[in-house]
Order: sequence, then C-alpha cells, then structure tokens
Amino acid sequence: MDDHSPGIFERLATRTEGIFDLVLPRRAAALARKEARHIVRDPYTLGMNLLLPLMMLLLFGFAISFEPKDLAVAVLDQDHSQASAKVVEAVQGSGFFKIQASHGDPEKDVESERVKATLVIPAGFQKSVGRGEDPQIQVMLDGSDNAAASVVEGYLGGVVNSAWSRLQVERGQPAPLEPLEFKTRYLFNPEQDGHWFIVPGLLVIILGLLCVLMTALTVAKEWEQGSMELLLSTPIRPMDIILGKVAPYVGLGLFDVAIVYVAARVVFHVPFEGSHLLFMLGSFLFLLVALSQGLLISVGTRNQQVAFQLSMMLAMLPTMLLSGFIFPIESMPLFFRIFTAVLPPRWFMTIVRGLFLKGSGLGQLAVPFTVLALMAVLLTGLAIRNFKTDVEP
Amino acid sequence: MSPRQRAEPKAGWAVDVRHLTVRFGDFTAVDDVSFQVAKGEIFGFLGANGAGKTTTIRVLCGLLLPSSGEIHVGGEGYHDDNSGLKSHSGYMSQKFTLYNDLTVAQNLEFTAALRDVPVKELEARKERLFKLVGFDRDEDTLVGALPGGMKQQVSLAAALLHNPQIVFLDEPTAGVSPDSRARFWAVIRDLAKAGQTVFVTTHYMDEAEECGRIALMRDGKLVALDSPAGLKKHAFPYGLVELELSGEPKEGWDKAFSQLPGVESLKPHGRRWHLEPSTARAWGQLKARLPRGLKAHVIAPSLEDVFLKIVEPAKPKGAAHG
Repeated sequence: MDDHSPGIFERLATRTEGIFDLVLPRRAAALARKEARHIVRDPYTLGMNLLLPLMMLLLFGFAISFEPKDLAVAVLDQDHSQASAKVVEAVQGSGFFKIQASHGDPEKDVESERVKATLVIPAGFQKSVGRGEDPQIQVMLDGSDNAAASVVEGYLGGVVNSAWSRLQVERGQPAPLEPLEFKTRYLFNPEQDGHWFIVPGLLVIILGLLCVLMTALTVAKEWEQGSMELLLSTPIRPMDIILGKVAPYVGLGLFDVAIVYVAARVVFHVPFEGSHLLFMLGSFLFLLVALSQGLLISVGTRNQQVAFQLSMMLAMLPTMLLSGFIFPIESMPLFFRIFTAVLPPRWFMTIVRGLFLKGSGLGQLAVPFTVLALMAVLLTGLAIRNFKTDVEP
Repeated sequence: MSPRQRAEPKAGWAVDVRHLTVRFGDFTAVDDVSFQVAKGEIFGFLGANGAGKTTTIRVLCGLLLPSSGEIHVGGEGYHDDNSGLKSHSGYMSQKFTLYNDLTVAQNLEFTAALRDVPVKELEARKERLFKLVGFDRDEDTLVGALPGGMKQQVSLAAALLHNPQIVFLDEPTAGVSPDSRARFWAVIRDLAKAGQTVFVTTHYMDEAEECGRIALMRDGKLVALDSPAGLKKHAFPYGLVELELSGEPKEGWDKAFSQLPGVESLKPHGRRWHLEPSTARAWGQLKARLPRGLKAHVIAPSLEDVFLKIVEPAKPKGAAHG
C-alpha cells in the first residue's frame, strides 16, 4: 500500500536529473534533485505549469480578439432606396458585422445592449448622392464599451466610405476626394493577425508569473514545514541553496517555453523568423531573472500565503500591464515609459516579438539581452547575499 | 558548573558554552548560560516550554547567532560561516523535518550529499544505522506513509549519517508510543557507549533518569546541573516523606501541619502529599505529631519532585497547599 510506484513525470525526471550532477556542485545538485522530485510528485505544481499556459493560450488565443468579427450592428434605413441598400450590403458583406433589424429608435437599439452601434441612413440619402452632395449618415455608438466603440467606428466608417465612393463612380462621377487615404502595409505581420502579436507575448506573461511564484512558494514551504531548519543545520551554503532551488525550475520553465512555442507555431501559425539559439538564450536569462525575483520575495516572508500574494502583486500587475503585452509602452506617460526599464518582462517582450515576427538578430536585440543578463546576475547575487541562514523568528 | 570542570581545556569538551545570551528584541530567551558536556556523555536538558532549551540547541547547531558569550562544539567556535561547527554535529529538531513526499532512501541520500558522506560509503552506513535504530521497512517507502515511531527512527538515522561527534536531539520522543520510546533510548545508550555525545531535551522524567547529567532551565537561566542522583540529593538533602490518607483527617490539617517547625514544604502530589523536612532530624520529631487519618513513609525523591521544586515557580513557604 505504501509502496511507491513512479508515475510518468517521475520517470522522466529520474532520467534527466543526472544533468544536475554535471552542472552543479554536489550539495546544490542534491537539492535540485530533491526539488525535482517534489515537483513531479506534486499534482498542484505540475498542474499549474501545464494548465496555466494552456488556459492562457485558449483565453487569449481564441476568446480575446482585437479585430471585429460578427459584431452586432443595427441598421435603420429611412431612405429605402437602391443607394441605401448598397450601403447596407457593403456593411453586411465586409464580414466584420452582423446586421440586426432596428427597432425604429436608434438610441433604444444601443441601449438595449443588443447591438454595439446603430447605422442611420436618413431619408433623402439617394437624392443627395445623386446631386453629388456629401450625404449624411449617422452612427450611434455604445460609448460605455470604449474599446469596442472605437473599433466599430473605424471599421464601419471605412466600409461606409468605400461604399459611397463606389456609388459615386457608378454614377459616372469622379470618386470623392477623401481628405487623406492611408495605404497601409503592415510590416512583420502582413495579415494583421492578432494572434501573431498576442501569442508570443503570452510566453512572457506565463513565465513571468509562474517562475516568480514557483520559487517564492518553494522556499516558504520549506520554512513552514520546518525542513529549512534541517537544511540549515548542515554545512550547506546560501549559494548551493539558491542554485539548487533555481535549477529544476529552469527545467520546468523551459518546458513551458516549449508548450507556448509549439502552440504558437502549430495552432496559431505564428511565424518564427529569428534564431532559435537566441530564443533559448533569451528564455534562459528571463527564467533566471524571474526565479531570482521569487527567491527575493521568499527572503521577506516564510509564509506560503504571503509569498503567493506578494508574487501576484509584484509579478502579475507589471507583467500584464507594463510589459507592452497589450498596451504599447510608447504611448504611456513619460514616468511609466522610464519605469518599465526596470521591469524584466518588458525586455523579454522585445526579444520574443523580435525573434518571432521580425527575425531580429543579436545586433538589434543587444540592449534587451544586455539588460536581462545584468538583471540575472544582479538578482541572483542579491538572492544569495540576502538569503537568511539563521532561523531567528 | 563545578570548578573542576571549568579548569579543563576547551578542546576536551564535546560542547562548551560560556556566558551564552540570546536576545530576540526585548526578550531574553537564553540568559548568561554556561555549561560543559563531556565526550560520550548523555546530557539531558530539562525545562518548561519556553525556558530556552530549543534556543540553546539552535545556537549550538549553528542555526542562531548568540547575542553574546562563547560556544564551542567539537572544539569549533562561531565563524562567519558555521560550516565547521555544523560538520561536527547531527541535529534532530522538535518538528519532523524529513520530506514526506520522498522515500526513506531519497531522504537519506539528500542528507548524505549535504553532509558530504562519500557516495561509496552510503549503503554501508545506511545498513548499519537501520540496524542500530531498528528500522526494518523497505527503504523505498515514502516517509509520509510511515507510522510516527518509524519516522523518528529515520530522522535519527539521518542525523547520524555523517558520524557526528555530537548529536542534538530536541524532544525526539514527543508523541511516539512508550514502546518506541524505550527502543529509542536503547539506541541513545548504544551511541554513548560507542563514544558519541548525546545532547537531548525531554519532558519525560523517566527519560531524564537515563541521562548522565541533567541541566535544568527556567526562564532562560540554568538553575541546576548535576547527575540525577546529585540533583535529588541536592534538592532534598533531608529526604522526602509521602503522606497518604488512611482515614478522614480534620479539615485544614495540611495547612496547620505545614506551619509546624521542621516542615520545609508540604505539596499535594496526586492524591497524596510530599513533605520535605527542613533538617536531618526533623522527620523524627514530626512523625509523632502526624494528624489522625494519615499514613506516612519515607521515600526516595524522584526527578519529578526535583523538577517541581526547582523549575516550577517557587511558592512562598507555608502556602504550598490551598
């Protein structure tokens, strides 16, 4: 009953744990091997490292989209003409919108939350087109959903504008002079596929969260269980403890890197233009930085719950909001733009997007690589120096 | 404690503590404590919870910095890094500190690596220690699946894996069965016979009787240090008399009796009373004045009596029973 039979992860770990003896001093290697055994026997740790990346990929990859698709829009056609029908057809044919019948009151349509916007084509539209005047078309937008509103405004405006130009041309009149027409060519993401932008960024988010959390928790756990006391009663040095704690989680982190990489390439068809070697190096540096951050948190607390909350606060917010994942750093206020320089995720984000989409080389990525390398050295050093080896309460 | 012991050279002691004080903020956990432990001695550490026993042991194991004073363990003092001090001692803490999700073998392999036990010797040492501590299960059993007594056996084996000169055991038998306790103490005696020094704290008086010498701590201070026999003799120089009901004595007899000259103290002891005469002849005179309904016999004081007298907060004379 109490005989222990190893599971699949455990056998995998047993096969690979010999590597710790090759790269680490004996005490650190022993600690790393022990830690690896904890990881493979703890369904919670394993689950978090498997499920969190998958969940994030599903959530950001499929559910959250930055381009309109089948957005509900009501049309109130008060003109009932050929011209107005053409406009409606253009809106419908664009693929961005799903047309709903208006209830007659454009404001009520939006208010009822059935649609994001109502397009009102006033009576006399066809006539004014025929006279070559600037016809008026009104759009009522749901301002309470700012992000959706601006997307709808932009796309709907574009669709209606081009429909109107076509109408003019059909009537043998010169196409109207639009104030300025952009001919946009998207470099590095010609299809404007949101996934290309989001999925590589997810790697930063996932590693940034998990790694900080993992090491913060593992040290706090040893204090809570009392095993830290046993550990510290042996002649082990802080350097060994830090190395031994970090090494197995580097392995686990690289596993997460692989998950996201495969998902990005196979499921979301994101291209990878850069060097895989640089990708590995960048991931490794960022892992070291994030894991050391976790260890530094664990210097401050010996309680798993506090460690969890601190990690969430210190890792989650900056990683999600200030890394350039969603909000571009260039459009932040000056203070935040400067502030992001001390946040490791921001630099790894540049590396990851550069490698996936732009095919940047070490030359272009010299700054983020240097910053991450310096941070890795600094934070690991700080963690070793500040690691408390006495049990004073 | 005695002048003879102080004169010995430092290196001769397994543990040498001089004027050790440990403060946590305003709280003084250990207050100017000095003692020496000889090699091969079983040294008992007794005291109420919070008396400073564990704190002292933690300092000796290199886990806490002393606020002042000097300590030497196996001849090694305190340095920036306590690896010298730590390498001579084995430690079994009060809390169970092995990893429940690892097997016995994996736990010992881990400790062996931290303690620099040569890989080649590990198997032989494990076999010897398993025999010594009486562990007879499969070493591939998860530690979490073992019963409490066996966990203690494995903990002890882990503490002994590097052949330490001194082993510190902090309440090693708390919460295990009487049977396991007896076996555990047989191991401790074997260790001492083999020349290893055993430094042990306990709450069990029968275990304390097994120690060569006992240090009693109260509120961070060392209040007595002697062999069990010496402690008893010192604490009760004129012996101890046990009083037992044989009829129905008058209400308040104990208060009146304890006021008599020749009574040092009279304390309830379960359903009986323990009377301490104040001089060698006192009991001879008191015997005749024993109230009706009571039986008396002279007994040998136990360590529990010593503990109650020395470690429990002293009560003013005459107010022993209320």
